[in-house]
Amino acid sequence: MSPEALRAVDVRKVYHGRGSPDVEALRGVSLALRRGERIALLGRNGAGKTTFLRIASTLLIPTSGQIEVFGHDVVSTPEAVRPLIAVVPQEGKPFFHLTPREQVYCYLRARGLPREDAKSRTEAALEKMGLEDVADRLSVTLSGGQKQRAMVATVLATEAPLLFLDEPTIGLDPFARRAVWDVLRDLTRKGCTVLLTTHYLDEAEALSERLYIVEEGRILFEGTAEGAKRQIGGTLRISIENGGNHRERFASFGQGVAEGNSLHIITEPGRVHEIMDVALREHLSATVGPVSLEEAFLTIVGRSIDAE
Amino acid sequence: MIKMAFGLRWAGTGVFLATEIRVQFHEWLAIVTGTLTPGALLIFVAVLAPDLIAVTLIGSLVYSMFLIGQRVLNEAAYIRIDHKLNELYHASPLSPEAYFVGIAGGMLVAYLPPSLFVLVILELLHPLTLVAWLVLASCLLAVWAVSSTIGYVVSTLFKDMKTIWPYSALLTNLFGIVPPVFYPIRFVPIEWRSVVLLLPTSGAAVLVNNAAGLEAIGGNEAFLAATALAVEAVALFVFGIYWARRMARER
Repeated sequence: MSPEALRAVDVRKVYHGRGSPDVEALRGVSLALRRGERIALLGRNGAGKTTFLRIASTLLIPTSGQIEVFGHDVVSTPEAVRPLIAVVPQEGKPFFHLTPREQVYCYLRARGLPREDAKSRTEAALEKMGLEDVADRLSVTLSGGQKQRAMVATVLATEAPLLFLDEPTIGLDPFARRAVWDVLRDLTRKGCTVLLTTHYLDEAEALSERLYIVEEGRILFEGTAEGAKRQIGGTLRISIENGGNHRERFASFGQGVAEGNSLHIITEPGRVHEIMDVALREHLSATVGPVSLEEAFLTIVGRSIDAE
Repeated sequence: MIKMAFGLRWAGTGVFLATEIRVQFHEWLAIVTGTLTPGALLIFVAVLAPDLIAVTLIGSLVYSMFLIGQRVLNEAAYIRIDHKLNELYHASPLSPEAYFVGIAGGMLVAYLPPSLFVLVILELLHPLTLVAWLVLASCLLAVWAVSSTIGYVVSTLFKDMKTIWPYSALLTNLFGIVPPVFYPIRFVPIEWRSVVLLLPTSGAAVLVNNAAGLEAIGGNEAFLAATALAVEAVALFVFGIYWARRMARER
């Protein structure tokens, strides 16, 4: 078996519209996932994340490029790939007229798991997702978050070697989100590989070992969350109240972004004293905090938009 | 060997079929309300033309079987468009052909009880010979194959449930109500008889009525109807499997 769980080389996808212009959803995406990694794809709506996930999970045929799962080509040998993967589709819902217990069990059985294995994995998944109390209620009667948890439980229970999760925690409360994170961490410890898309940047940071930032079908950044933050010129953010009117005084310290009356400066730890001195001399109050992944994301994607 | 014949994989079909049956049984009211149209027609005929009741009973069996295709259409479209469950299953070891046959078979089994009830009434009012039973069973199976395939294929063509509903009603009326399914073929003008025999629903009804001794047709007409029905059933079902495999991956 290939040492890589997934390897994509120059994957392109063009959607041919009927009577509307063609849409180039992926413009040469190349990436690789090692076994046991948790990787996040970040990007704006329409950046191409779901298109990539659907291609990698055999649901969509790329226009060109090569993509392999555990060494099996997803285009020419989807039958070899499918037993190795499981997918939480974006906005997927469980059968409304099955209970969560039936939903998970039936899916595992359809994947070919023996009865006893399917039963024990179903119970474990329901417990991990906190669905024991509603396990025998029809899904149609569950809340939106419970339905989403049932969907995630269905896929996580497979313990497939490669899991694709498209916005898996959307609509979940913070406790439920963390439960999903714990299960995903647990699965990767067991050797599963996880590729997820998310709009929650804190989730990407907390969960993924590496991340890819995608914009307009291209990969703009590949690396760790810390690496993304370093890319924007510093790891600290100094927010200066009413600093918007004194922008020129701080111009030499790093990248400054005005937000209302405030000025945010991205800088390295070594320059904090100098900036605080200037702020004190100008009688401006300033706070220091770490750069967030959101700021890094906005800056990296923003640069790309400006460049176009 | 059977599992892999013609490159097709059937593993998991039974489980997915059972899943669909379970889903439908949780919606038992839909199974009951599905009997309303043929039930109402049976009452009208019993009151207005009691001598045609056996023909109408056979018609309601054929109609109910064709209605399964409409249910396949609605179910397949619903779980694809609204729930995205097709993606959950297509990105799994369950093959697209098993998914298609699972839905079609699940609907058949789940909606069979009302038809069994009609069969009992038919047997009480107009007992069938063994040959008539065999013709009836074969024709119903063929109608199920045709209607399930039409339902599944149509379900994959649209992106919105509301767009699908009119087609669903159109197909049911076009195949189930307009041609001589609930009424004898003798009411059809002679120039239309060939067309009627070629349609799977009316062809099936005419064949069963003939076998049950309710309305005789010529040997050539029987041959035409039987051949058309068999060819349509086999060709469409094979096409359904091809289509299911094709549509499991978007292009």
